Amino acid sequence: MVTSILGTRIRQRRREVGMTQVHLAKTVDISASYLNLIEWNKRPIAGSLLRKVADALDISLAELDNATEHHLSATLSEIARLPTLSALQIEEHRTNELIGRFPGWARGVAALARSERAAAARVQVLSDRLNNDPFLSETMHHMLTRIAAIRSATEILTDYELATDRRAQFNAIVHEESQALSKVGESLAAYLDKAEESEHALKPVDEVEALFSARANHIAELEDAAQVLSAQVSGPRPHARMTHARSLAETELSPLIETLIGEQPEMDGPLAEARVRRALINYAASAMVMPMSEFATRAAALRYDIDALAEVFSADIESVSLRLTALAISKDVPKFGYFCVNAAGTVIEMRSIEQLAVPRYASACPLWVLYRAQQSPETFIRQRVVFPSGARFVFVARAVHHGAAGFGKPRHYQTVMTAMSEDDARKTVYAPDPNTSVEEVGPGCRLCPLTDCLHRVDAPLSD
Amino acid sequence: MTTRVLLAEDEPNISTSLTFLLERAGHEVKVETDGDKALETALSGWPAILVLDVMLPTLDGYEILRRLRDDTRTKNLPVIMLTAKGQREDRETAMKCGANLFITKPFSNAEIVDAIKDLAAAVSE
Repeated sequence: MVTSILGTRIRQRRREVGMTQVHLAKTVDISASYLNLIEWNKRPIAGSLLRKVADALDISLAELDNATEHHLSATLSEIARLPTLSALQIEEHRTNELIGRFPGWARGVAALARSERAAAARVQVLSDRLNNDPFLSETMHHMLTRIAAIRSATEILTDYELATDRRAQFNAIVHEESQALSKVGESLAAYLDKAEESEHALKPVDEVEALFSARANHIAELEDAAQVLSAQVSGPRPHARMTHARSLAETELSPLIETLIGEQPEMDGPLAEARVRRALINYAASAMVMPMSEFATRAAALRYDIDALAEVFSADIESVSLRLTALAISKDVPKFGYFCVNAAGTVIEMRSIEQLAVPRYASACPLWVLYRAQQSPETFIRQRVVFPSGARFVFVARAVHHGAAGFGKPRHYQTVMTAMSEDDARKTVYAPDPNTSVEEVGPGCRLCPLTDCLHRVDAPLSD
Repeated sequence: MTTRVLLAEDEPNISTSLTFLLERAGHEVKVETDGDKALETALSGWPAILVLDVMLPTLDGYEILRRLRDDTRTKNLPVIMLTAKGQREDRETAMKCGANLFITKPFSNAEIVDAIKDLAAAVSE
């Protein structure tokens, strides 16, 4: 819990203006011993007494009660409680004293901690990308296959008496596979070189994903706060209900949302911060319209049918699809991913899932149903896919109208798509039967090893 | 003891080596290089043991295994999954689909031959 540092600020200011404790106590009409307790943050101070103290010290209330320092105090307290630092026995109870007496050092420690968290988060994002990179996965598969062929043939050459033609056959296998292994190694080295060159800062959509990903797409603080407000949400239609819920989130949950943003490692600019804020407001609004306890039960009963859930909660398709990603992780509950693209095919929001590589940048794979759903607006389209890595997913996409409606006005559509592994899809209404055709798709041309694909528009990085 | 082993493997050099090894061990071997044909041959009742690569053209190994386990004729067919992926989730997926054994590439020849021998012994009991 954040304790007040007002006392420390008062003591510091009193010393700056050269006033004794007795003098200040007399001026504001309290005892010196009581002022001493206040100055050491052992008694609270507020209201008219605080105003009198501020006047006596010739300082504004805002300067005394500095929100930035509250945040700094919370940050330093959090650092003090880090399990990795427990052996250092940091004096958490003296945090406010540190801020009051050595504000520069306090800000420096907090900045270092933020920087360390940002670096850790970046490492995590890069590590996730590496684990889910289809090119690397495919290359690893090739390397291990080549090595298996070489090892098996070599053992045969060593362990068995072979006729000349047989020996020549296995020698040829070793030769051929060694050459293939060498090529795979070269293409891997080239890929890693190019990947290093093309590494860039996170985009706003990545920042939003990073925040949700770090919390497994479930923000418990917002769930709790939204549950309390859910009874206040009114409006007969989905759009009106979400608008009202967003407005409630903005007015009632703003401090909590700002705290969540503040806890995030440093973001790349105001655009990223605005995107994160909007995503958190939307999350809170969805949590009000579809409180998790009821949503989880209904979702399981309806086998995660997005359309049916939208009807039950009088919510829009987009919010329901996104809400599915917030379900608590358990072996009985499918894990859902979410993607939203605009008409230009740009990913504007996503919650990815394991092994599903995401086409964020140019040359995304046009074979995903995500990019063809706009040909049949307002209709759910299911797609069963297999990636070059062998991973299988079921996608459910729907293009939904976005923006104002009216005669003569252009209709703009965004496509929302829910993704789940094929195993998880079996727990839902979207379960494909064994005869449902499987479409071969990729993660995007630059990362896709399917060289003979007719839809390729860009060379793979390994070329 | 001769056992009929179906080898579903699309890498010709690996299937050449495995065929040699299994035939030397006294087994009868048939090779299929795509998923659909491997499933068809497995369902035909020919093999006593199936060595199944995970990544096959047309139908992957997991799907083949699911379909075999759904069919009364092959629900108990001993299956060794063979894959270049050795991550925990791949092993879990293979076992969940009903594999009897999971062997990762690169394997040693003895590993494969011993596995077939053990499964063949279990089948004959």
